Amino acid sequence: MASRREFLQVGFAALTLPISARAAFSPAASPLTGAATPLYKVVFDERFPASVEFGEQAKKLGASVHRIKGDITSLWYHDLYHRWNQSPVAIAGLTAHGPIFCLERIAWDHRMRVVFRTDHKRLPDGSIEHTLSGPESVLRRAADLRADGPNWGGRMADLVTHFPQIRSTNGKATIVAHLAPTGDDAEPLISWIIAPVRSV
Amino acid sequence: MRLPPGVSSKDFADALKQFEDAVGKEWVFTSDEDVALYRDAYSPFMGEPDEILASASVAPDGVEQVQKVVRIANDYKIPIYTISTGKNLGYGGSAPVLSGSVVLDLKRMNRILEVNEKSAYALVEPGVSYFDLYRYIQEKGLKLWVDVPDPGWGSPVGNSLDRGGGYLMAQYRNHFDSHCGMEVVLASGEILRTGMGAMPGAKTWQEYKTGFGPWVDGIFSQSNFGVVTKMGFWLMPEPDAYLSGTIYVPRHDDLIPLVEIMTNLENTRVTNGMPDLGSPLLSIPMISEIDKWNRGEGPPPPDAELSALLAKSEGGGSPELEAYALKKGISYWSCRLSFYGAERANAANWEFAKEKFSAIPGVKFEENESYKLPLTPEQHEKVHKPQFGIPSLAMFSIGARSPVNPQPTSGHMWFSPIIPRTGEAIFEANRVFAAAAKEFGLPVLSFSLPSCYWERAFIFIFAFPVTRDVETNKKNRAAFKQVVQRAAEHGWGEYRTAPAFQDTIMGTYSYNNHALLRFHETLKDAVDPNGILSAGRYGIWPKHIRDQKA
Repeated sequence: MASRREFLQVGFAALTLPISARAAFSPAASPLTGAATPLYKVVFDERFPASVEFGEQAKKLGASVHRIKGDITSLWYHDLYHRWNQSPVAIAGLTAHGPIFCLERIAWDHRMRVVFRTDHKRLPDGSIEHTLSGPESVLRRAADLRADGPNWGGRMADLVTHFPQIRSTNGKATIVAHLAPTGDDAEPLISWIIAPVRSV
Repeated sequence: MRLPPGVSSKDFADALKQFEDAVGKEWVFTSDEDVALYRDAYSPFMGEPDEILASASVAPDGVEQVQKVVRIANDYKIPIYTISTGKNLGYGGSAPVLSGSVVLDLKRMNRILEVNEKSAYALVEPGVSYFDLYRYIQEKGLKLWVDVPDPGWGSPVGNSLDRGGGYLMAQYRNHFDSHCGMEVVLASGEILRTGMGAMPGAKTWQEYKTGFGPWVDGIFSQSNFGVVTKMGFWLMPEPDAYLSGTIYVPRHDDLIPLVEIMTNLENTRVTNGMPDLGSPLLSIPMISEIDKWNRGEGPPPPDAELSALLAKSEGGGSPELEAYALKKGISYWSCRLSFYGAERANAANWEFAKEKFSAIPGVKFEENESYKLPLTPEQHEKVHKPQFGIPSLAMFSIGARSPVNPQPTSGHMWFSPIIPRTGEAIFEANRVFAAAAKEFGLPVLSFSLPSCYWERAFIFIFAFPVTRDVETNKKNRAAFKQVVQRAAEHGWGEYRTAPAFQDTIMGTYSYNNHALLRFHETLKDAVDPNGILSAGRYGIWPKHIRDQKA
């Protein structure tokens, strides 16, 4: 056991729920079959190079990006709170666990769910393991991650900004990309999309 | 779909239909995906069949709908479990105590009914979060502060009913003590108002707490005797200025006079913020410093000599360690005092405090922050926000993995014993808990310092890890219960806990053959004879389940 203040120096992690099976726009609500899910904001964390690359690529692809430094309080309090109170809209990000943990729980109250998630974990040999959960069509497109080497952040930006509105069955995939060992104890990162749930 | 215990499929379906009629079809949730949102994110039963799960949830938007839901639950004997915003992480989250309960989710009841600036109070519903109340006050430009917990996404009603704490003046940071007046829906569906609220047309419901006759508010906290649908809170008028100063003392045993003087200064209101202990030598940050340390602005890591001494020392002390501290000029202990008030009064109080602490040989002082309030935007960005009544989620920005935590856990269960406000008690508790950790196979417990969320007593808050490994979780749950018993043997009881341990902890409050629990049960049987409200909450079970458990 650790004291609370030690714990606050160590960090939070927690249970993650499976991605939503019905967190998709219904065809009736989204006539643009094949179109990408509009993203209100793409969030990146300036502390992590892969996340910065993700943000830069998302911006090149026309997304409205928002920089954080771990803490989502300001993003939510000044921006998402107002936007989501008007109507639920999708957001995406590549962050550490804490930001998505908070945003997911806040999004639940606006009838939104995580619809795509990839855990990026550095392995002891330096390679990186991408564990993806999401529509199978997106998982197929993610196969290129194997060849992307250290530039996987940009690939994830491509994936989330082209995330389809009409989605196929959800699946899971694990892709390991061999990278040169960096010797650093990299933070596990998560790419994610939060989107409104389909009406039931 | 999971069924509530003892309820037939037909009855449950009928009850759900009636819930839909009462609150609207879209506000009754029965799908596995929706009900999963009420799982405890830090459940110590993760991945086990014993994980406590709800069967459904119902979300009323007003007191009349709550009355209807309660009456339907009574008709069908459906157990319902009340949450406000459900952010009680580490103490159970949104999950019920009795598996199969229907969660009565009050998040939609999020109206701020009144904020009175002159009299400095608010009346709110359970779904109002600290952020909501803070936002309301900011947008209206009111000169009021809300005492917030950290993180601040919970609700004043929920947090105070669980008897949480904050960071401002003592009369506000004890969140239950700072409430004034409640509205409660009883198990019968009848509405009760407490304190002055019992008088129709009362003018002082949120200004005078106790009304006339027995003051019953306490029985609705950490309990299951009613559904609180409104609560009043005293808010802190924005002070003129803020000052903080730190006292540093050089020797191990200096902790004893340091705590004694600190406590006296708080009890005499010379200092009126939350006192904050730390140890520069042992690398224990004061709570107000944690953000700074996490930004990499803390002291350098211990050198090789200090690391070796720390590894050898037990209970945070050894003559060699003290000699090292004196040789290097590193203070053993620190204590930060906060002063909210008139600028000149703060300065005078700090001077008086320094005079008192000067009785400790070798003491040093440092003035830390001095702000004329309100904070400027620049100051706002750099302060420890809860100490200024600003809710925050920043603690979740801390990395999940670090050199000291290479294998992050999947959550935690707080073990939170209350101990006396003395230095001697800190030393004793550290000895006892370090030995218990060793005995029960827990990770080595390094020296810890308690917090001062409440006046008069210290609280230690230890995190027991929740992992993805079932066997480790079983072992940690068993160890948690053993540590609870060990604490009780020394006269230390917990102030709050997760559902998995509420029976165990209530069992330690056993004076005179559990007279207190038996009294709770007598009340429970009288006010909720069908046992529909939050069964098992804080160890209080309705009679039919109590009989089965026996």
